[in-house]
Amino acid sequence: MKMAKFLFIPFFLLKLSALVAQHDIPANIYKDFSAQKLKIAPAIGLNPYPTADLVISNLVQWDIKRRLSLTSYTAYTYNSVFLRDFNYIKTNYNYSLSQKIGVGTTLYSKRASHTFSLLGGIKYNSFKETLENPEFEKVSASASSISPDFGMLYHSQVGMKKFFFSYRMYLPLYPYPVQRLDITAIDGNIANLSLEFGLGVRLK
Amino acid sequence: MKNLIPLLLVFVIASCQKEDFSADLTESFSIESTSSAATYPIKVALPENYSPETQTYATIYVLDGEQDFDFVAENCKKISHNLSISNVLVVSIGYGNDRVDDYTPTIANEGGGGAEKFMQFIENELIPMIESEYAVDTLRSSRTILGHSFGGLLAAHAFTNHNKLFGNYIMLSPSIWYDNEIMLRLEQENRAINSNNQQLVFLGLGELENQGRMLAPFEAFYQRLQNYYDYIAMQRHIEQHLDHMGSKNPNILKGLNFYFKFR
Repeated sequence: MKMAKFLFIPFFLLKLSALVAQHDIPANIYKDFSAQKLKIAPAIGLNPYPTADLVISNLVQWDIKRRLSLTSYTAYTYNSVFLRDFNYIKTNYNYSLSQKIGVGTTLYSKRASHTFSLLGGIKYNSFKETLENPEFEKVSASASSISPDFGMLYHSQVGMKKFFFSYRMYLPLYPYPVQRLDITAIDGNIANLSLEFGLGVRLK
Repeated sequence: MKNLIPLLLVFVIASCQKEDFSADLTESFSIESTSSAATYPIKVALPENYSPETQTYATIYVLDGEQDFDFVAENCKKISHNLSISNVLVVSIGYGNDRVDDYTPTIANEGGGGAEKFMQFIENELIPMIESEYAVDTLRSSRTILGHSFGGLLAAHAFTNHNKLFGNYIMLSPSIWYDNEIMLRLEQENRAINSNNQQLVFLGLGELENQGRMLAPFEAFYQRLQNYYDYIAMQRHIEQHLDHMGSKNPNILKGLNFYFKFR
């Protein structure tokens, strides 16, 4: 249940920002909106739980219509940045690669836009650890896997000109509830929750 | 606020999925331990058609009983029914002291090192009480201990230091990393006494337990059991795409299935 409470907080924040955005829309905002705007927004961020992971990501958003967009999201995660050597256990490598695509809708306020997208794709995880305790034999172990990756992406764009600030939060919906409805599986979701900041550019 | 209701419902429904074992077949009491100076809530799940006059049963002792007892008891019932074999008595050991004290073998940053006292409680107070009050087999080979995380560490401690008590071990995501892998030293020190005993061991982990501490010590412990124990029946399972907590229930199911098939 503790996990569910954690997950509820970002859901609540997403909802709150959406409600605020809806009330803020002036009638003339984006009246000159021309379809097929293409934006690219690289960013850097963290998966804060359970050990901080560094995320480097890129988002490409194509606004087909004013309220409809297609999104491509690519991320490289350097896992457990601050815990690479613990109790004689050395991390040889530990990273993830993820590629997702999805569809979203955008709400506009005066100087910002808020896009909510549903994304789906795959994630590749790979890590290797070696136990190097001088008292015992040296043992290495590794694991690599490809898993599905579903989730909700909230992308906040601040600034409506060519360059803008980008804040985004990715809320994974895998393994819970896609693989398992058992609530304990949610720690896998929370481990992949990411918060990112970056600078974007509108290409078209 | 209205739009939040469906989201909340999803969480409420999902959170209500906990399987509760039948209250009619569950007995609850507590034991005031002299060994560890704490009072432990105990639950016992009886098999359906429990017949103490005609039959004796094997026992599974479940650590972190508050969290895992219902799931284990319910699934023992299902698995034994599916395999058409006799069910077991499931004994839940609840919290008397903080688990990080009771389940850890030595004093370290992460725990208080009370495992030896806790094992004394199990050996001298709990097991004698269960075996005098219920129709259970008193053979070592009929006793199982099941634990997850620090509970898995305690199950490993029972294996290394109290091997005469239990013949079967279900160790799920055991914290072998604890105190610079102290469990590997304990295994080494007690190997000569334990390696000729018959035992059944299930070792489970989550594939995404990649926080730099779980996999390598788990593998080292597994390799030692495989290399040095001639009379061991063992299964090692890595649960795909799941993390530390998420892999617990799937690994409990795998461990119980392994136990019921090969005990």
